[in-house]
Amino acid sequence: MSARDLHGPGAPWGGAEPGARSNSDFKVVGQPRPKVDGIAKATGAAVYTDDLTFPGMLHAKTLRSPHAHARIVRIDTSKARALKGVHAVLTGDSMPIKYGVIPWTPDENALAVDKVRFIGDPVAAVAAIDEDTANAALKLIEVEYELLHTYLDPFESLQRKEPQIHEDKKGGNISKSVQLEFGKVEEALAGAEVVVEDDYFFHGSTHAPIEPHCAVATYSADGVLTLWSATQITHYVHRALARVLELPAHRIRVIQPCLGGAFGGKSDPFSLEFCVSKLAMVTGRPVKMLWTREEVFYAHRGRHPMHLHYRSGVTKDGKLVGVDAKILIDGGSYSSFGLVTTYYSGQLLTGPYHFPTYRFDSTRVFTNKPPCGPKRGHGSVQPRFAFEVQLDQLAEKLALDPIEIRRRNFQGDFTRTVNGQRVTSNGFLQCLDEVESASRWKERRGKLGFGRGLGVAGSMYISGTNYPVYPNDMPQAGVQLKVDRSGLVTVFTGGNDIGQGSNSMCAYIVAEELGIPVERVRVVAADTDLCPVDLGAYSSRVTFMVGNATIDAARKLREKLVAAVAEKWECAPARVRLIEGLAIDLEDTARSMTSVEAFQLAETKFDTLGSTGSYNTPKLGGDYRGGTIGASPAYSFTAHVVDASVDVETGRITVHDVWVAHDCGRALNPMIVAGQMEGSAYMGLAEALFEEHDVNRFGLHRGPSLLDYRLPTSLDTPDFHARIVESIDPEGPYGAKEAGEGPLHPSLPALSNAVYDAVGIRLKHLPFTPAKVLAALREKRAAASVPQGVR
Amino acid sequence: MRRMAEYRLEVNGDSLDVSAPDHWTLLEVLRYRLALTGSKQGCDKGDCGACTVLVDGKPWLACLTLARSVVGRRITTIEGLLPAHRANGGSGADPVQAAFDRCGALQCGFCQPGMILSAKALLAKTPQPTRDEMREALSGNLCRCTGYTQIFEAIESAVASELGLKPAARAWGAPPVSCAARKDGGA
Amino acid sequence: MLRLPQFELVQPSTVAEAVRALAECPGALVVAGGTDLVPNLKHELFTPPRVVSLALLAELRGIRRENDGSLVIGAMTPLAEVAESELVRAQAPALAQACSLIAGPQLRSMGTLGGNVMLDTRCQWYNQTYFWRAALGFCMKKDGTECHVVKGGRTCVAAASNDSAPALMTLGASLEIATASGKRTLALDDFWVADGIYNKQVARDEIVTAIRVPATGAGHRGAYGKLRDRGSIDFPLLGVAVRLELDAQDTVAQADVVITALAAQPKRITKVAEALAGTKPGTAAFDAAVEAVGALAHKQCKPLPNIPGDADYRREMVPVYVRRTLQAAARREGPVHHV
Repeated sequence: MSARDLHGPGAPWGGAEPGARSNSDFKVVGQPRPKVDGIAKATGAAVYTDDLTFPGMLHAKTLRSPHAHARIVRIDTSKARALKGVHAVLTGDSMPIKYGVIPWTPDENALAVDKVRFIGDPVAAVAAIDEDTANAALKLIEVEYELLHTYLDPFESLQRKEPQIHEDKKGGNISKSVQLEFGKVEEALAGAEVVVEDDYFFHGSTHAPIEPHCAVATYSADGVLTLWSATQITHYVHRALARVLELPAHRIRVIQPCLGGAFGGKSDPFSLEFCVSKLAMVTGRPVKMLWTREEVFYAHRGRHPMHLHYRSGVTKDGKLVGVDAKILIDGGSYSSFGLVTTYYSGQLLTGPYHFPTYRFDSTRVFTNKPPCGPKRGHGSVQPRFAFEVQLDQLAEKLALDPIEIRRRNFQGDFTRTVNGQRVTSNGFLQCLDEVESASRWKERRGKLGFGRGLGVAGSMYISGTNYPVYPNDMPQAGVQLKVDRSGLVTVFTGGNDIGQGSNSMCAYIVAEELGIPVERVRVVAADTDLCPVDLGAYSSRVTFMVGNATIDAARKLREKLVAAVAEKWECAPARVRLIEGLAIDLEDTARSMTSVEAFQLAETKFDTLGSTGSYNTPKLGGDYRGGTIGASPAYSFTAHVVDASVDVETGRITVHDVWVAHDCGRALNPMIVAGQMEGSAYMGLAEALFEEHDVNRFGLHRGPSLLDYRLPTSLDTPDFHARIVESIDPEGPYGAKEAGEGPLHPSLPALSNAVYDAVGIRLKHLPFTPAKVLAALREKRAAASVPQGVR
Repeated sequence: MRRMAEYRLEVNGDSLDVSAPDHWTLLEVLRYRLALTGSKQGCDKGDCGACTVLVDGKPWLACLTLARSVVGRRITTIEGLLPAHRANGGSGADPVQAAFDRCGALQCGFCQPGMILSAKALLAKTPQPTRDEMREALSGNLCRCTGYTQIFEAIESAVASELGLKPAARAWGAPPVSCAARKDGGA
Repeated sequence: MLRLPQFELVQPSTVAEAVRALAECPGALVVAGGTDLVPNLKHELFTPPRVVSLALLAELRGIRRENDGSLVIGAMTPLAEVAESELVRAQAPALAQACSLIAGPQLRSMGTLGGNVMLDTRCQWYNQTYFWRAALGFCMKKDGTECHVVKGGRTCVAAASNDSAPALMTLGASLEIATASGKRTLALDDFWVADGIYNKQVARDEIVTAIRVPATGAGHRGAYGKLRDRGSIDFPLLGVAVRLELDAQDTVAQADVVITALAAQPKRITKVAEALAGTKPGTAAFDAAVEAVGALAHKQCKPLPNIPGDADYRREMVPVYVRRTLQAAARREGPVHHV
């Protein structure tokens, strides 16, 4: 591990004791402040991909498969090509090279080659003078299909081997299977005081960012392809384009404009990015493709449906002795991140509680449905739901308070999980304390009368992992700084700001380190020509990794500034402090100069000013196959209490309040952290109560629109109360950890647990529709009316 | 069949000549003819509110409006707020826009032009709305990022600043809870 | 973006011109606020050569009280105006409540009462894009022959989904219609056809110009209850309009319950008046009668899996919403809605 890897929690002038510094030592970090792009977004000036227009730009549309599983016998595009205004038509043979975000499982084509695997699979693309002409051309393309058996049920995919959805895949329709055991689970469970065994189901849900996917490409006369795309992984798109288009990567530039939400839904390379690129190359004109909302639903990559079976045992004191999980994962039609999903479904459960023994058996299968992928809380929201409900079932058997059982099983900080993951700072107990007191748990739980209740749940999540999607030892995040004589510092970062505020985070850090106002920092991001590589906005890695890279770059620059000023003042560098737009002499406070003067002095002394910084994770993870998947330099921890009531006549659940306590290490901007916490909790409740991404009996998406896929409105959303807990991570930037995904997890189980407190029914199958609630209430009444002896 | 129509729309106080086919929506004309790309398209067909504009002061979905059907009506898009505020002697952005920025109500920012215009319409009718009134008035504007809480706070902050009160900062409560200092290094 | 099919837009400035514009172009369609037709056009459920917009017909806007106490609501009056009108709230509370729950705020400022009355029926197999419907193999309501709701069904069962219609039925409202040959009046009760493909007795080349709501007296009570998933935006999964007429002793003299979002037409529950007559709100007798009406409604209403949502659940909610809406009306409250 090199010096660049660790920056620790202190401010730049920080003392020796890292954790001891309070927020008051900082001038920028730790205070609520606007984002660098806030006012541009509020005034409509921010430029998103579909806001771009180029002279002579063509509009492209995609022809999609109306069949869930079929072989393409023949495609005839001649009539479409002949239509006036059509400039190019592409089919699968124009881009036969397969890709996939995980290099081990490339199974996607930009346009279908030979086979289609779900209703909506892209088959052909047309570029025309306008959208209407392109649409008209689509209707002229003739495709002949030979229908194949359609898989809609993951259990069938597990059993049935022929036909294979992916013919070149070994082992029938299994996408990935992982079995790992840590310690002797059976022995441990045999010695348990209480064992609970139960089944849980997590339905599918999707990201539904309000901005649909869009991409625009130009191909210059001298052979440079430029792609603007609504992506959260500029770098991987860059690599995928080079592979599929067979262009050298240096002739490709990928730019992410302002992005209208992603949540994991824009973290694969997508068909439209290849299509507009190829169409621009073929036609020599700029080409744009904006997907309809319906197409966004087909592109999906949302949360995997999972059938989960858990068996957990505890001692009579409520301490876990073993956890045994068996999970069937419905992957949909392609791999996407599925290899990782399968590992995550087991690997990420091993905190914040101590598991003495643990085993999981997870299998992901292909079905002929829109492909699943990573949605906020990738792979771990589903098992977390099941386990946190099971934990309440265990607590009930022991007559233990649900918060108490969680406290008793707390794993501690600076420890190692049963599957070999290193845990550093851990504020989970404080999170529990916070939600317990804020919700007045002790006074209120179990005492709100029939119909209303409180529920708790906890979770942990990664702050990035040390598993770069393609193996390499280069930095995971790079940052470059450039200084202007005006006093402006420009940050160049490959990081993708997807609304979470990563550009602002870079600006805060540079301002903090160089002692200048945030307004004097500009951020240029996610442009592969201009910015050093960052792997992208996924796995909650950006604050941790890009933040550390930014600190690294800023400190190198600061060193030069301090050296130049110290030389001028003929004093030791330690006396020079950069603060509030000035360089001051700590021992002679009358002596100061503006930071602009300091910059110019440094430029005079050192040459053109700039610096680079980077971050790479230390070596982490368990020493076994897959042991690095889910290995994070730092884990965040969360606890929620949900206050909900149930109308026993209509079955409708109303959530009144959610208290969200989250250990984010240090809140670099508490306003943004709170926004992430509240937005996460909202999204979790949304999938618990309203949203369902599924196909009907024909394999057709049930309702690919924002009318039928029901995102909660402001009237359907409770009040959120964010309580930030700071545990100060020794390796995070100023001690920061992630905040954007962890706080989603507990929403669902805490709600289920609250409903149990309210009306005594255990909701184990998502989503919690009123019909399911009524059915459970009926079942409970029926059970209660049966005399004990008979049962 | 394809006919271009020529007409004039009153957008943000300007009379603008438009030439577009009859079947173009107001959203398409604003974005692709008049380059007013602040109005966003999210759902295609009236389900999300991202394209909300004001027509004679009322919140209106541009994606469901045939462009020529609003000839003669006063259209306000997100781009119109700041100039109108300046024309009235204000500085900075419109108070509601400034409050959204100040209160962290903007994450991805994509729903916000529509959200801000719905908020403007609400405040024009109800200068000091309750949270329930806000929930009702904004219930046609889906936000996927915030969970709405910081949006309500932004509107409350805008109201406070309009009344000359110090804009209420979020009740952050106690400062973040710090865990006790930890020993250095990993396990 | 999902595009509209091409058409010619005609914007007449008088009703007579509008009727002419429809008559001279077979297949032409009327658009009022556009909140129903425009999505349907984007789905290619209709591909008219001409669309006749009523946007410029100022004469069709506004709410006025006639000398006989009846309300005349111009067909182009926005739903928000109907919902907020003091006149409507006082005289026809069920209508004001129903309009206040239609879709979301923007659609209520665009959408009109005439447009809501004329709303196309809805079905999960129908309100989809052309691509989606083509992948399905279409349905009998548009471009196909099969019904995916009722296996082997011969009649389309797409659901009347207009919230205003059942309220207007309980109020005994009628429509004023402009036709090529003049004007006619049609009671809402006579408006319906039991065919989801087109469930109305108003021809495509006719224009609803106004909705007339007869006068109500001091004993009038009305309310609307709406079941939907979200607190806004969604169409009804069930809509219940009720009317009670109390006599001078505050006992029920007349009563009516109409339920929508079931099949092609709203359903008037029979024997409601008999059950409730003579009972006094606030008494156990009234409560028992309300229960009985709920049971009647449950027996008479059989929601189908036509619109999204569990049909069995929707049926289970019939008596609950009937009861709650009757009780709300009796207390001069409502609407009955979960938020």
